[in-house]
Amino acid sequence: MRCPLLAALLLIAPSARAQSAWSLDALMIQMAQVRTASASFTEQKTSPLLTAPLTTQGTLRYTAPAYMRKTTQGPAPQDFILDHDRITMSGGPDGKTHVFHASDAPQIGGLVEGIRAVLAGDESMLTRLYNAQLGGDAANWQLQLTPLDPKVAKLVHSITIAGSGERITGIDTASPDGSDSHMSITETVSDAP
Amino acid sequence: MRPERLALGLWLALLVLCGVIDARSDYRTQMGDFLPHSASLAQQVLAGQVNGGAASHILLVSLKGAPTATLAALSEDLAGRLRQKGAFIDVMNGDDQSLAPVQDFVWRNRYLLSDGVTPARFTVEGLHTALTSDIGLLGTDLAPVLGQSLPADPTGEALNLMSALAPANTGPAINDGVWTSPSGDAALLFLHSAAAGFDLDAQQRDLGLIDTAFAAARAETPGSQAASLEVSGPGVFGVRTRDVTKHDVTRLSILATIGAVSLLAFAYRSPRVLLLGLLPIASGALAAIAAVSLSFGFVHGITLGFGVTLIGEAMDYAIYLFTQTAQGDTARDTLTRIWPTLRLGALTSVAGFAAMLGSSFTGFAQLGLFSIVGLIAAAAVTRFVLPPLVPKQFFAVGAGSIAKPLGWLIRHRRPARGVAVTALVAALAALLSHRGGMWDENLLDLSPIPAAAQALDTKLRHELGVPDQRYFAVFQAPSAQQALAKSEALAPVLAGLKSAGLLGGYDLPSTILPSDTTQRARQAALPNEATLTARLAQAQAGLPFRADAFAPFLKDVTAARTAPLLNAANLPPALALRFGSMLVQNGADWVVTAPLSGVTDPAKVAQHLSGSRADFVDLDHESATLMSTFQHEAVTLAIVGSLAILALLVVGLRSFRRAARVALPLIAAVTITAALLTLGGGKLSIFMVTGFLLIVAIGSNYCLFFERAEPGPPAWERAIASIVLANLCTVAAYGLMALSRIPVLHDIGVTVATGTFLSLVCGAVLSLPGKGRAP
Repeated sequence: MRCPLLAALLLIAPSARAQSAWSLDALMIQMAQVRTASASFTEQKTSPLLTAPLTTQGTLRYTAPAYMRKTTQGPAPQDFILDHDRITMSGGPDGKTHVFHASDAPQIGGLVEGIRAVLAGDESMLTRLYNAQLGGDAANWQLQLTPLDPKVAKLVHSITIAGSGERITGIDTASPDGSDSHMSITETVSDAP
Repeated sequence: MRPERLALGLWLALLVLCGVIDARSDYRTQMGDFLPHSASLAQQVLAGQVNGGAASHILLVSLKGAPTATLAALSEDLAGRLRQKGAFIDVMNGDDQSLAPVQDFVWRNRYLLSDGVTPARFTVEGLHTALTSDIGLLGTDLAPVLGQSLPADPTGEALNLMSALAPANTGPAINDGVWTSPSGDAALLFLHSAAAGFDLDAQQRDLGLIDTAFAAARAETPGSQAASLEVSGPGVFGVRTRDVTKHDVTRLSILATIGAVSLLAFAYRSPRVLLLGLLPIASGALAAIAAVSLSFGFVHGITLGFGVTLIGEAMDYAIYLFTQTAQGDTARDTLTRIWPTLRLGALTSVAGFAAMLGSSFTGFAQLGLFSIVGLIAAAAVTRFVLPPLVPKQFFAVGAGSIAKPLGWLIRHRRPARGVAVTALVAALAALLSHRGGMWDENLLDLSPIPAAAQALDTKLRHELGVPDQRYFAVFQAPSAQQALAKSEALAPVLAGLKSAGLLGGYDLPSTILPSDTTQRARQAALPNEATLTARLAQAQAGLPFRADAFAPFLKDVTAARTAPLLNAANLPPALALRFGSMLVQNGADWVVTAPLSGVTDPAKVAQHLSGSRADFVDLDHESATLMSTFQHEAVTLAIVGSLAILALLVVGLRSFRRAARVALPLIAAVTITAALLTLGGGKLSIFMVTGFLLIVAIGSNYCLFFERAEPGPPAWERAIASIVLANLCTVAAYGLMALSRIPVLHDIGVTVATGTFLSLVCGAVLSLPGKGRAP
């Protein structure tokens, strides 16, 4: 589970109500309002294995409480679906469909639980998994997540989500192995009540 | 005196000999040993699996009664405690540690295990294809995970293996990091005990360890005070059944002993004679065990437990002798008088049980031999050993009064005959009009496991995703390596069936451990370091990988080329158990039992498998076949045994008329008993059928005494008294067995108690000589 997906899904959850006091509580309440959402993204990844960054783009969809789908359109098409605990990857480079449980890959299990917590607006779960620092104000905010679980921390150093009002402008993730990612969301459609 | 002393000495010597043989006997409890010699390979292997196979090591644990998060913490705490115990070779609750040993094994040995390791994969083209695919994977959301394994495994062997090894089913749900029921109301654990399911002492210790660990975990986990523990599995069933059996047998045998001893004490009024009465049956049992052990090489547990019930009749021999000894008479005189009847009675029973010797079920044949030897020995002890041991002045003081109620019936036997015949006709009519089949064909009804425990097991298995193992591909080979090679040859066939939608999934031993040949071929497919370095450099051309990105890959491949080959001892516990349940040594051969799941068209799968020289086994069908063979044999043996008894009666009594007088009450007793048992739509179990044979064996003695009794006091009254006393003891013992919760004990108990009592009544009414006049 790549952090940009998490970040993107955070992003497509708009602030449903204007909050008088900007806080993690307020952000979480907004998240919990979202029933379904969709967006398109562009992602740039660097890796210490690579001499040049990889750029991908595609669409994102979320249905409360625990369905997420990331469809990468190019350069190589791929589908990534999280349905509760079950992850389905298809159309990838090997052409096969992989189905597994988030828990079968314990390292990504923590990330998946985190995503679910954020999307469901489950602050207690989020703070159990991450140290969450919210900076800025409702018009220009940054949510920095640092994994508490050492297994997850081995994969992701930190996730920084930047947003402005109901829009997220960018997500940066940094991994301990030196790989980084930046995902930008170019369009958001959502139906929160 | 001298022959009597000789007999006594011989008896003591034989007792010691039998005792020595019994002490050295091999006692077995595996169901496979009870099965027919002719059982199919699949039946033998599968029966062996039930008792001693890998599946019998499994314990399923469910924690309930607290919020999911609390249960998860409890599960973690419990798993942590159990992992420290050597009694459990694997403790899985869905957390990281549950799968770590398998992942580690797969990672370390990926180049020997993966079927992706071929010469083509390590050519420049093969590597280029793999690296191109890796670029694509790095663009996916698995990049952070792959980024760690990619430098050492660019061809993706570990990922390939993990998906091949993953169970075909979807597995249990995960909540708060541990396995739970779908609703989250129970946390689930899956344990592999080091002990097999039949090792009941070890299994009982395991259950104790689980209970203790659970209590400690609950004390440490806040908010879990109300949580409760449920454990299921073959070992649990074994332990619980043994507990119930112990409890039932202890309680019921104490009650039965009290009942029989009170009756006999009232009749004999002599403790010494009371104890002497046990000698025939005790000697018979010792001799029977020794005989079975010598002829079969082992004694089955069922033979031991069940055999003693079959020779219960031996108790009666002493009763006949003691009770029929009149005041002033000696036991020796009495014996001379009653011996012909006693001998014929014992012989009829022996003839009845002799049919069992021909059974294809080893267990039945053992029971047959046990009964025959036991009864002959008991009769011999009654004949040659008991008489001189009975005190000179002994006679059964209280016996006379016991016979009084029956005396009344005998005096009114002419009108009673009408009642008996009417009852027989009514019983026949009831049996003939019985609807829906008289035989109980539900295997579970024979199981000593209570329905609630079976339901719990089914539920836990379902929630844990333990597949219902019904279909198997079975084949054998002369060696383990050849069996693995056949398994490898079958893999593409099963993969084809899976992609054709005929199978949902399959498991093969070669997926877990390839044959040595295949492992060597994979090593040979790996290029040496210099070659691989050169090819990798060429393969990276045009791809944005750093030149040194795959240094760990070069190192691991080089190490794998000369790594020692893997064998079963290298497997982590979870895989070792799975492997051990699929590849089993059976005599000189090795048998592979590969589970198939999600079979949509059994006939087609069977057809494809037979083309690959593997058998398709439907476990449900096999056990139904076995069950019906078992039933069919039990009925046949009972019928043949009864006919043998009738034939012997004709020969022994030298008169059809007299034989008929002995047989008719027995036929009436069995028929009325069967009608009573099936009253209101009840079904007959095979244990009841065995009970019928016992009714005939025991009841024939009554009828022989009735038929031979010479009217006129006091011998007449004493004969009647001995029969009544013998029957009361039988009804007390078997009637108490009927209270047991264990189907076999209950069924035999209720059948024999009812049937022997009816034999007594019908015998008194129908067997007495027509012309003789009872006082």
